[in-house]
Amino acid sequence: MASQTAATRPPPWRDVRILRVAFQLGAVVAVCAFLAYLYDNLTANQRALGIETSFDFLDQQAGFRIAYSDFSPSGTVLEALLVGLRNTITVALLGIVLTLILGTLVGIARLSSNWLVRRAAGTYVEAVRNVPPLLVIVFVNSAFLATLPPIDDPEHVAGMLLTVREIGITVPQGDAGFWIYVGLLAAALVGGVALARWRTTVEERTGRPARPWLWGGGPVAVVAVGAWFALDGPIVLSHPEVVGRGIEGGVAMGLPFVAVLVGLVLYTATHVAEIVRGSILAVHKGQTEAATAIGLSTTQRLRYVVLPQAFRIAVPPIINQFLNLTKNTSLGVAVAYGEAMFVTRTVIGNGNPAIQSILVVMAMYLVVSLIISLVANLANRRLRLVER
Amino acid sequence: MFRRGRVFTYAALLSVLTLVGAACSDDDDSSGDREADGSEEAATGGEGGDEGGGLLAEVQDRGTLNCGVNETVPGFGLVDEQGEYSGFDIEFCKAVAAAVLGDAEAVEYVPLSDPETRFPALQSGEIDVLIRNTTYTASRDGGEGARFLATTFFDGQGMMVRADSGFQSIEDMNGTTICVLAGTTTELNLATRFEAAGLTYTPLTFPDADALGEAFGAGQCDGWTSDLSQLAGQRSAFPEGPDALVIFDDAFSKEPLGPAVRDGDDEWASAVNWAVIATIQAEEFGITTDNVEQMTSSENPDILRFLGQPVAAEEGAEPAPFDPGLGLEPDFAVDVISQVGNYGEIYDRTVGPDTPLGLERGTNAQWSDGGLLYAPPYR
Repeated sequence: MASQTAATRPPPWRDVRILRVAFQLGAVVAVCAFLAYLYDNLTANQRALGIETSFDFLDQQAGFRIAYSDFSPSGTVLEALLVGLRNTITVALLGIVLTLILGTLVGIARLSSNWLVRRAAGTYVEAVRNVPPLLVIVFVNSAFLATLPPIDDPEHVAGMLLTVREIGITVPQGDAGFWIYVGLLAAALVGGVALARWRTTVEERTGRPARPWLWGGGPVAVVAVGAWFALDGPIVLSHPEVVGRGIEGGVAMGLPFVAVLVGLVLYTATHVAEIVRGSILAVHKGQTEAATAIGLSTTQRLRYVVLPQAFRIAVPPIINQFLNLTKNTSLGVAVAYGEAMFVTRTVIGNGNPAIQSILVVMAMYLVVSLIISLVANLANRRLRLVER
Repeated sequence: MFRRGRVFTYAALLSVLTLVGAACSDDDDSSGDREADGSEEAATGGEGGDEGGGLLAEVQDRGTLNCGVNETVPGFGLVDEQGEYSGFDIEFCKAVAAAVLGDAEAVEYVPLSDPETRFPALQSGEIDVLIRNTTYTASRDGGEGARFLATTFFDGQGMMVRADSGFQSIEDMNGTTICVLAGTTTELNLATRFEAAGLTYTPLTFPDADALGEAFGAGQCDGWTSDLSQLAGQRSAFPEGPDALVIFDDAFSKEPLGPAVRDGDDEWASAVNWAVIATIQAEEFGITTDNVEQMTSSENPDILRFLGQPVAAEEGAEPAPFDPGLGLEPDFAVDVISQVGNYGEIYDRTVGPDTPLGLERGTNAQWSDGGLLYAPPYR
């Protein structure tokens, strides 16, 4: 191609460079035209059936409440959908963090040399991975949560208050002087990190142990303990208590929320575990042998040689699982969790146009998924193996 | 040479695809237009609907009626282990089938226990008629493209609690959790009722009555709100026995329940409407499944006209069956009454005082008995 001169260029209808662009343009136009045709067809049919085609309903009063939110019936439909979106994002973000932790632990456990640990992890993965996520959520809800004691006779377990309505967790809460304490702690941390950095350079220069952890951590610990007593305990524990027909204090989580979160984490963690296990196995055996040959201990081998490489293999498929988890939150409908799909269904049931509502919720899921995938891909770009 | 060949192949492929696509979309377009035209015609020129080939003719050609029902409400619509449907709403599906097809059993039931699915099912044509304890409201009539017909059950919303809960009325229920079906008028009325009383509550909303019942049984909510008729049905089937539950006397909404059809087909709407009205009229005339045969030789010209028996239109004229032009057989009422029964029979059999639901007629009595049932004259 490059060797061709202008004089010998073929006519435009046979020029590959022009045709390439033309085909792409043509494809884009065709796809857009097809979508426009579908939309036009839709609105034409809706009009013929006497169904509302506009999006005006979004500004109308919703008229219903959403559990565990301060949404009032006088809010608009759009606000209701946004409350649903917020609930979706809450479960998705918490779920992603918990899934990553549980999945990594189980994945490593599946490679353990301990027979019991290995088999237990394997059984869990195979049992949960092969059933639909909806079943896991409903099972968690019916088999465990629905059997909790009634609200007037709660059970206290390890700082948690268990009832069939809500689960209360004891959480630390800032008291008087909390922000002063945080400020002091932050200052100490900055100083500590600077000290530790300095000691590390000293260690690297002289080759003698300079104890960066001790130099850095010492002052932080002194400030933390000293200020605690000086400020007379700036952080207190907030205990959940049953008041009337609900829980006050601590953090109270509605049972539907717990069911969706636990169900999805249990389900998605099995997939993450398999990815983690596969990625560790995918690191070439020669890497392990080489690490052993230069005298690294087992921990050092994992920490410096195997895991960094495994992690890079694992990231792209794990991002995929995060997206799956986010989309699966729509299964919360089954246990009355007020996420985006749930609110949409309520909105439709209350006489608002179904197709427009579905389009709105589709756009919401698209935006959330794209943001998650953007963030995760940025992380991936920083972490990925640089091929030489 | 190879590259050029490939480009050529692509071009050829693309042009073929374009042609096929154009052909397809042309097809779709014309059929879509035809459909749109058809329903517009039906919407504007309902009178001359006979040659339009509307839903009535379609159902008669098909030989079965697709009836959207609820399968989770005892007494109104319930499916048993054998897959048999029974209940008040089911009887009206049969009445429509008897009127339109002459066979009360020619019904294909489409279960729609999830309230959100009912209007899309109606709009898409998956069902011919929706008889599923659905409240007639303005926005459903307007925005959902549904057309509501004669009300079969005048209901109101109520609240059910456990007998040992200590709640006496809604005013006692501040800060409680209430179980309710998602996407129903019930959910909206609940918000209004509590707002009006200045009380707060947490709604626990479920897609169907089975999931809701399970949550209520497990104590996840203090109250269960729904139409009083449905509460009576659920109470009768409560696992711990009906006495474990109390329904408050306070009814806080109007819930006229009746069949709904798709907007834009007047002929079909009239046919369904008069199938329902026939059951009400039959009760007023005192015609039952047992005596409908004798009644066909009644002395009363009103009854003869109603049953499609030959009757002289005016003094001295040749007697002929009265045909009001509904597109139904002149004696459709005989099919309805002999195969299904009159309104009172349907009511007593499914939800009346002698059934587990034990509902008195109340507002659902004939107008002559102080109720709201009032059949327009059949003439």
